[in-house]
Amino acid sequence: MPPSLEVRWHGQELHLLASRALWWPSRRALVVADLHLGKPAAYRALGVPAPEAVTEADLVRLQEAIRHVDAERLIILGDLIHAVSGRTDATMDAVGRWRRAHQALEILVVRGNHDRRAGDPPAEWRCDCVDGPFAEGDLDLVHEPDSAAERPALAGHIHPAVAGAAPVGPSRLRAPCFWFGPMVAVLPAFGVFTGARAVRPAPGDRVFAVGDGSIAEVACAASLRRR
Amino acid sequence: MAAPLQADHDAAPIERWFASRGWTPFIFQRECWCAYLAGESGLLHAPTGTGKTLAVWLGPVIESLHHADTQADGPRVLWLTPLRALAGDTADALSESLRAVGSGWTVELRTGDSPSSLKARQRERLPSALVTTPESLTILMSYPGWAERFRSLRCAVVDEWHELIGTKRGVQTELALARLRAACPHLRTWGVSATLGNLDEAAATLVGSAAPAARLIKGAESKRIEIQTLLPESIDRFPWAGHIGVALADQVLAAIDAAGATLLFTNTRSQAEIWFRTLLTRRPDLLGKLALHHGSLDRDIRLEVERLLRADRASRSELRCVVCTSSLDLGVDFAPVDQVIQVGSPKGVARFVQRAGRSGHRPGAPSRIVCVPSHALEIIEFAAARDAISTGALESRPPLRKPLDVLAQHLVTAGMGGGFDEADLLAEVRTTHAFADLTDEEWGWAMDFVGRGGPALTAYPQYARVAAENGRWTVRERRIATLHRMGIGTIVGDAAVRVQYQSGRTLGTIEESFISRLRTGDRFVFAGQTLELLRLREMTAYVRRATNRRGAVPRWNGGKMPLSTQLAHAVRSRLDLANQGLFDSPEMLAAKPLLDLQREMSVLPGPDDLLIETLRTGDGHHAFLFPFAGRLAHEGLGAVLALRLTRLQATSVQAVANDYGVELLGAEPFHLDEPGWRALLTTDHLLDDLLEALNATELARRQFREVARVAGLTHQGYPGRVKPTRQLQASSDMFFEVFSQFDPGNLLLTQAMREVLDAQLEVRRLRDALDAAARARLVLVCPADLTPLSFPLWAESLRATNASSESWEQKVRKMVVRLEARSVAPAPTAKSRRRSRAPVA
Repeated sequence: MPPSLEVRWHGQELHLLASRALWWPSRRALVVADLHLGKPAAYRALGVPAPEAVTEADLVRLQEAIRHVDAERLIILGDLIHAVSGRTDATMDAVGRWRRAHQALEILVVRGNHDRRAGDPPAEWRCDCVDGPFAEGDLDLVHEPDSAAERPALAGHIHPAVAGAAPVGPSRLRAPCFWFGPMVAVLPAFGVFTGARAVRPAPGDRVFAVGDGSIAEVACAASLRRR
Repeated sequence: MAAPLQADHDAAPIERWFASRGWTPFIFQRECWCAYLAGESGLLHAPTGTGKTLAVWLGPVIESLHHADTQADGPRVLWLTPLRALAGDTADALSESLRAVGSGWTVELRTGDSPSSLKARQRERLPSALVTTPESLTILMSYPGWAERFRSLRCAVVDEWHELIGTKRGVQTELALARLRAACPHLRTWGVSATLGNLDEAAATLVGSAAPAARLIKGAESKRIEIQTLLPESIDRFPWAGHIGVALADQVLAAIDAAGATLLFTNTRSQAEIWFRTLLTRRPDLLGKLALHHGSLDRDIRLEVERLLRADRASRSELRCVVCTSSLDLGVDFAPVDQVIQVGSPKGVARFVQRAGRSGHRPGAPSRIVCVPSHALEIIEFAAARDAISTGALESRPPLRKPLDVLAQHLVTAGMGGGFDEADLLAEVRTTHAFADLTDEEWGWAMDFVGRGGPALTAYPQYARVAAENGRWTVRERRIATLHRMGIGTIVGDAAVRVQYQSGRTLGTIEESFISRLRTGDRFVFAGQTLELLRLREMTAYVRRATNRRGAVPRWNGGKMPLSTQLAHAVRSRLDLANQGLFDSPEMLAAKPLLDLQREMSVLPGPDDLLIETLRTGDGHHAFLFPFAGRLAHEGLGAVLALRLTRLQATSVQAVANDYGVELLGAEPFHLDEPGWRALLTTDHLLDDLLEALNATELARRQFREVARVAGLTHQGYPGRVKPTRQLQASSDMFFEVFSQFDPGNLLLTQAMREVLDAQLEVRRLRDALDAAARARLVLVCPADLTPLSFPLWAESLRATNASSESWEQKVRKMVVRLEARSVAPAPTAKSRRRSRAPVA
């Protein structure tokens, strides 16, 4: 069984999967952020060789995560499609086939900044597209985290990673992560070809690193320095 | 009277100009002119000194006087310099000589800083002599029609060739020269270099195999170098380890007072900042007379310091001393420098000679260098450096072989500059030293990489950076060409954050990894100031001067340059002489008590000995080995030995390395006799063990950053410059991941690993060290306490690398992320989102 960790957050039971997805049992929903489908194609259009196999691999991982938790719904927290130039036949057909293989799945897309330029997915993918924040049970769904939010929200957009010194040795570790703050929980980018940026958690935040097929909570110690 | 120049060339204007200045041409200058006029290429080398520019420049000028050349005849000389900052001075010097001899030639500059109107004009019409950098030349060659515009070129000069050879910029230069040779029938190539251990190879690399061999010409004789080492009054009180060396600050101040202008070289930027502050703190009256110069400082600040240095005597400027790093190793000669001070180990003989040569430019005056040891053993290194200079044992700079990232970039550039025929370009590329033994498979891979993305037919649909039409490969997409041009070059800096005052004045750049650990209000030392961080936005850190003078000094990467083989060898010889009771220099006499102590407690290893000291302390059981192979090779050796020991004894073993040796630390004693140590030191499975011990994938992933950038996978922004396109913000990590997973045959991955082994781990030196160990007499000693040789290693243990093989998860569990202790903790918030600088915002 693939590893996962259970977290209680604002009264909700949430399972963090090593595959960079979040399982929300009470809503029967698998939540992911930042798929960036078509990103390799958009790169190739600009003369940068990015393998198309990335798309297929992301879809397979998504399928495995859905089967693993037996999700009825898929929630995508924005940036489903990377760019207009990424909407090539190869990419769109691959996703279309995947959709037909998951007929019963309900898909909800909270539009992200990339979606606004790349456009909504084609009708035959049968996605409900909404603008965030979108109320889902006791939580809000958004793409970009918002500090002014009054309701706790699940978000994407940042592609968070955690970086820290290993306790021994000169190496620094770096891994995509789930980042839970007081009011916003940020999911790691689901797509493999998306990149990540190190974030700086605050005291009280919880950070869960994913990588190498496993997930682990990272100990966050207050700086030893003065102040 | 020297030999006359070739009869059919009129050198009279040159002779008259020299006579009017009271100069006589040096013999090597005439030799260069004659060789050039006879159609030869060449490499002029000299340790330091004068007259090199005119030696390679005036040959073409004499030739032009004979033919009454003007600009209308097209470009004649291309002058390549590795440093933008040098280009302006060079162009001035060339112009001055043209005026003096009444030539109708024009000289122009083209660097990244040149105005775009000038660059546009140069794309259409080139001056008689163009002074430029390898990058700017390559950009010129990325425009169609470059070959016609360069056709009249007769001479390509590569200045400071020793700085380029051994780097990817050197390979870029080789490839550009090969293109020029094919386009310009009369081209001769001339190089100017400092003295190296591999001059023949340097000359062969410069001209490639398509042109006749280059003639090696030796420049002016090296100046006498006076080496004086500042010695502590008592070695007993002098630190046995460390790297700052401020213990001798008062003596350094006395030396600065006693001379005119001084250059004080340190080995790292952090050291420079610390020394600058220490000198000012002890002697506040030096304020305004002391300057700081290192590679992270803003260019304007550096230029101002250089200007003051040059103007010193004439303007009676008050500048007494510049604290600097290798940033002043290169470049224009500063005539008024009276003395050079070297803080810390010289690390290499050639570098030591070059630094010493910065002083004493008056004819007949010796170069004076004052050495400041930062710990006791370095005293011996200075004596050894003197020995190595007298025997002429200089380091080599081996040229790089087959960097495919540079080749990929070259293919795209060639596709833009009018396109290419595959067979022709392959033949041309193989005339370079770098790609002389490029296989058909490797060439095929590189062509696939730029033509189809990769070898698998379906992996990269709708991709073509370079595409063939009627057998000619060209870049057709304009936006691909524009992107490529922005990325031309092979210099990949660390992610750098600009440091700027509120008022807008820029101080320089600093490593992102350092500044991102600071919080608003934190103080740090930079550019000789204590600064307070106000905010970090985009890639700029806004700061103001702090009132409190205490602050953290950033640790820049680098400064880990290992002790060279030549200098290490000289140190071993010195130790051997000491063993025989010979202490014949002030340094060795000063170090005598220390060496006597080493001999008393343990032994002083002879040239064919491998000393192994084993010892128990409160920390555990130590074994110290002294192969004298330099820090990088020792780091690899330590990791390998630790791994092998854990296999033998199933305990965790920690390894620490410095330039002299390796420390192994275990919880249990190492039960090894001589055959046991010999088995441990075997070269069998060296590479496998090394890769396993050092988490080589992680190292290769980091190295891949440079490879990805050069091969055109990532397009970096620079501080203050907008990224080329938001859609293309990509990290090399992403490519490393997806290539490893979906295109594992990608040769760029292999190359990153090779670069790690060659450059970061010096695997060749490690192998040599093990081979030497196999021949060596093993000297096993159990001293009662830490010895002078082992103590510095013991003190290094903070840099420990561990040989335990923990899982990723275990490592993460142990990893500690430092938090910002903010009073309010609204994260993750919109504000922190900005700070996190999301890649796809």
